[in-house]
Amino acid sequence: MISDIVVNIFDDLTPLATMIILAIGALSFPAVQMFIKKHTVTWAYATILVVLAFAVNLVLLIDGIECEYLGVCLSPYSTFMALLFLTVLFLVVLVSNSSTETTKNHSGAYYSLLFGATIGMVFVTTSTDLLTIFVGVELTSISSYALVALKRKDGRASEAAVKYAIIGGMSTALTLYGISMVYGVAGSTELAEIAQYVTTMTDTPWILAIGVLCMLAGYGFKIAAVPFHMWAPDVYEGAATPVSIFLATASKKMGLGVFIQVFLVMFIGTTVTGTIFGETFQYIFAIIAAVTMTVGNVVAIAQTNIKRMLAYSSIAQAGYILIMMAVMTPNAEAAGLFHMFTHVFMKGGAFLIVGALICAGVGEKISDYKGLAKRAPVLAFAMMLFLFSLAGIPPLAGFTSKFFLFASAVGVPGEASGAWVWLAFVAILNSAISLYYYARVVKAMYIEKGECTDKIKIPATFMVAIAICVVFVIVLGVYPDLVYGFAETAVGLI
Amino acid sequence: MIAEYTWLVPFIPMMCFLIIGIIGKKTPEKGGYIAIAGALCSFIIAVAISVEYLTGDAFANGDPITSQIEWFHIGDYTIHLGYYVDGLTCAMMLFSSFISTLIFIYSIGYMHDQGERKNRYYAEVSLFLTGMLGLIVSSNFLELFIFWEVMGLCSYLLIGFWSFRHDNGDEASANAASAAKKAFLVTRMGDVCLMGGLFIFLNLFMSLDYTTLFDNAAAVYAQDPELMTLGLLLIFGGVIGKSAQFPLHDWLPDAMAGPTTVSSLIHAATMVKAGVYLVARAFPLYVMDENVMLFVGIIGGVTAFIAATMALNNMNIKKVLAYSTISQLGYMILALGAGGYLWALGYEELGALGFFAGCFHMINHAFFKALLFMGSGSVIHGTGTEDMRLMGGLFKKMKITATTMLFGCLAIAGIPIFSGFWSKDLVIDIAMHAFEHGTDASVWFIILWVLAVITAFMTAFYMFRMWFMTFMGEPRENAQHCHGESPKTMTMPLVILAIFALISGLFMFFGLDKMLAVMGVQIDGAEEGLALFSNMFTYLTLILAVVGIAIAYLMYVKKTVDPGKFNKHGDSWLYKALTQRWWFPDLYNQISWKLGYGVAKGVNYIDRQIVDGTVNGLSGAVVGGGDSLSKVQTGHVQDYSSIVLIGISALAVIFLIIVAQLGGF
Repeated sequence: MISDIVVNIFDDLTPLATMIILAIGALSFPAVQMFIKKHTVTWAYATILVVLAFAVNLVLLIDGIECEYLGVCLSPYSTFMALLFLTVLFLVVLVSNSSTETTKNHSGAYYSLLFGATIGMVFVTTSTDLLTIFVGVELTSISSYALVALKRKDGRASEAAVKYAIIGGMSTALTLYGISMVYGVAGSTELAEIAQYVTTMTDTPWILAIGVLCMLAGYGFKIAAVPFHMWAPDVYEGAATPVSIFLATASKKMGLGVFIQVFLVMFIGTTVTGTIFGETFQYIFAIIAAVTMTVGNVVAIAQTNIKRMLAYSSIAQAGYILIMMAVMTPNAEAAGLFHMFTHVFMKGGAFLIVGALICAGVGEKISDYKGLAKRAPVLAFAMMLFLFSLAGIPPLAGFTSKFFLFASAVGVPGEASGAWVWLAFVAILNSAISLYYYARVVKAMYIEKGECTDKIKIPATFMVAIAICVVFVIVLGVYPDLVYGFAETAVGLI
Repeated sequence: MIAEYTWLVPFIPMMCFLIIGIIGKKTPEKGGYIAIAGALCSFIIAVAISVEYLTGDAFANGDPITSQIEWFHIGDYTIHLGYYVDGLTCAMMLFSSFISTLIFIYSIGYMHDQGERKNRYYAEVSLFLTGMLGLIVSSNFLELFIFWEVMGLCSYLLIGFWSFRHDNGDEASANAASAAKKAFLVTRMGDVCLMGGLFIFLNLFMSLDYTTLFDNAAAVYAQDPELMTLGLLLIFGGVIGKSAQFPLHDWLPDAMAGPTTVSSLIHAATMVKAGVYLVARAFPLYVMDENVMLFVGIIGGVTAFIAATMALNNMNIKKVLAYSTISQLGYMILALGAGGYLWALGYEELGALGFFAGCFHMINHAFFKALLFMGSGSVIHGTGTEDMRLMGGLFKKMKITATTMLFGCLAIAGIPIFSGFWSKDLVIDIAMHAFEHGTDASVWFIILWVLAVITAFMTAFYMFRMWFMTFMGEPRENAQHCHGESPKTMTMPLVILAIFALISGLFMFFGLDKMLAVMGVQIDGAEEGLALFSNMFTYLTLILAVVGIAIAYLMYVKKTVDPGKFNKHGDSWLYKALTQRWWFPDLYNQISWKLGYGVAKGVNYIDRQIVDGTVNGLSGAVVGGGDSLSKVQTGHVQDYSSIVLIGISALAVIFLIIVAQLGGF
């Protein structure tokens, strides 16, 4: 009897499994660090927990389990996104112990915050209610502010953390304001009900439009869409590189996930009924996408600091992904999810190399990378792969996912066919612009002569993490179905 | 069925690339022999496939042999991986792998003293060959695009090969670096167009497979002619970039900064031929729209002419050859344009003749241009300079190089029996046909014909100017120190190629005409070849070519005519315009550097001013302590909120505009 009850409880807890594992970590790291006092042990413990969470989540994803408990809805979509977050968490945790940028004295707090932020992300993807989404986003954001500030004694980090916190707070306020208005009109915070209201309403209350716009702006900050992007370069530059990886690849994807969960669900019905309200927002997304990618790419050209350059390139990549919000077809969503995934490996990989080189005493300026091909041939080659993948050169992952995205924009079935071809063209032009600044780094590494010719040695954990990224950048380029299949299933069930 | 193994043709060089990359350093010549073996294997398989295809039923029926597997699908689209073998594929495979093999053999001698770096060189050229062969056997446009980009990437690395260390000092290495980047970025401009074109085709046809596209071209064109035209033009944009057509031609002369063998590879067997191949491959699509074909023809004719002018007074032996390549590529594009134009108007026979002329010239050019480049490499190897003013009188010291290069010059000048004569005169001929049969717009073709004829004259002049300056007259500075003929690994490929420069034109009498049939329409090579002799225009170009050679002789050997008289010793505006390459490099710089980078700087300034202007000193304050922090915060939150306000107002305004545009709620 008792065993039955236990089994039932665990059955019920299935949707929470990943989060529980992460929560165990988040709560116990400070204690572990306090008693054992060896940060390597804390690191090993964190690594084991991530791998465990990852494995559990992978099983849930492959089995395609769908269940619900206490308002937490597990679906192929949420497990897909969780897989993405856990991949990033794994890469970040893996290198954290050997990175010289992370403060060893606070490693308990550091891992705790990382895990806490990840719980928030996973929680967001399992939510179907505006308020629970809000709570998850806040959990992630507040942890992130502290993570940025953890790199103490660095003026840039403090500046970045303050800026991040203030702007984050402002975006939170905006979001909440928007949610309240939407609730006032639709009478619910449950997304399905709001969507029902939006699809069937006969005339549009202006207050609803204002509410949605406020939410859009609020979450726009989270994904650093132009014009709400200004915090991103400073924060990525200022934070310790592992934290930058976490923010640029995981945190931003959570924001994009929110876009899918909130706005897509809200407007997908209107694409069928063809009301102007939904169509208007599709155009707004298209404009934001086009402006975001253009500003990101153009400004990236003028950067001399590689972290800033990668930050602007991240902004541009978010612009590409936003194409899915404008097009709003299942293909586009799947392609968007897929691009989020490939972005993890290419941008994560590039940041990892930057982090590894900082540990090895190489500066953050692009000019510091001169002659890198001689000093660290493997690293330089990996960096070239990541950058060319970001630029969308075949047969790397970045090309394949971009191709999927643009193809989905071009091939909209039915009446709207051809409506988003212009957007695909803007995106293609942008890819061309982006090559300029990526090629500059490659040129510095391979073609220009460096002053220093000493060989560079980097920590083994960095090497492992980079190798993982390299493998996926190539494999996903040649065999996209490995992940794309899951993305398609995930989209089918939103 | 050997054709089933077509995938091996690009796969073997790919494996060589990996093997050389991993263990090449331990093998003799740092992987050179592996590269040669790989290229040779590809050639042998290509021969076997061609023999099988050309003797099989598929060829007799005018069908390709094609096979595909599903690679991935995006919603309704399915993207395949596969091969597509027809006469054009066979011809391209054969000459690309054959010439590459010879170039790799030649590299053993030419790159001998490059030490450890040879390893990188052989790995990269193998990958480069993979790109070209993969592109040729592709069965759909996405596959083609992927290999197209791989090749672009390799050219970037290869052109920049000498950037680290160059015998000619730092300036040369800086040139190599910037040339590599220029080649990469300029051709990338074209690639963007190509990619755009692919997306349009994807939208129109819901597929990128050749077979689907060719079968449905007419139906789709009837449905949506504007979009199809746009797609074709964009694809041609890719060709302009890759095949160095006007106005994106300027990267090719700079690309001479790479090793001469790389130039030879780029100009003869791969890279720039990819663009011409793309037009030929997409010919069934192109013939839908005669205006696009007219545009293609105009670009080709103008390119041929402009590039030839720039070769007239250049003193660098490799650059002269580079301009001649651009010019000859212009001929090929002109032939395809004129042929397609005629086809679009209903003259299918003549259209097929134009197609044949373009492809035929591409093949002939591959042989004689590889010969000329490797010959120039041999000369550079012997004298240590690329400046023709420092050469002269080398005939006595380098008999084999000089004789083989003479063959190359005769071929490119279009002297009968030599290969260039046949194909070039067919090209010029087809331009005349297009004028005679076309509609009102065909008046363009008479202009293009005139340009083509003048180009033939200029070509004969500058090629022999080069030959005379290098091999005849008194030995000047570097030529005096020349230590004789190059090693056998270098001269042997020259001799083989010289034989081909002599005879490859005759292929049209022995089956090449049937092989290069397009959409089932064949031409009779023997008839067309003999018809050249009954055409008075053939004699006109021939006389002009001989006059060109004679002038070069009088100027540079007899010295009875002083070239200084024509250019006012370098003071005439025309001379300056030519040395400045008609100011194209300046134009590029103005656009890319001043405008592009300027805009980026400007936007960056605004971007940083909004944020950093408001938070100056904030970081210091934070490090300083909590007290000042609170002050700073209160001072600046308003600034932040104003940004938010601006952002959200912008959104609201856009929202209202769109709502109004859509007709209100």
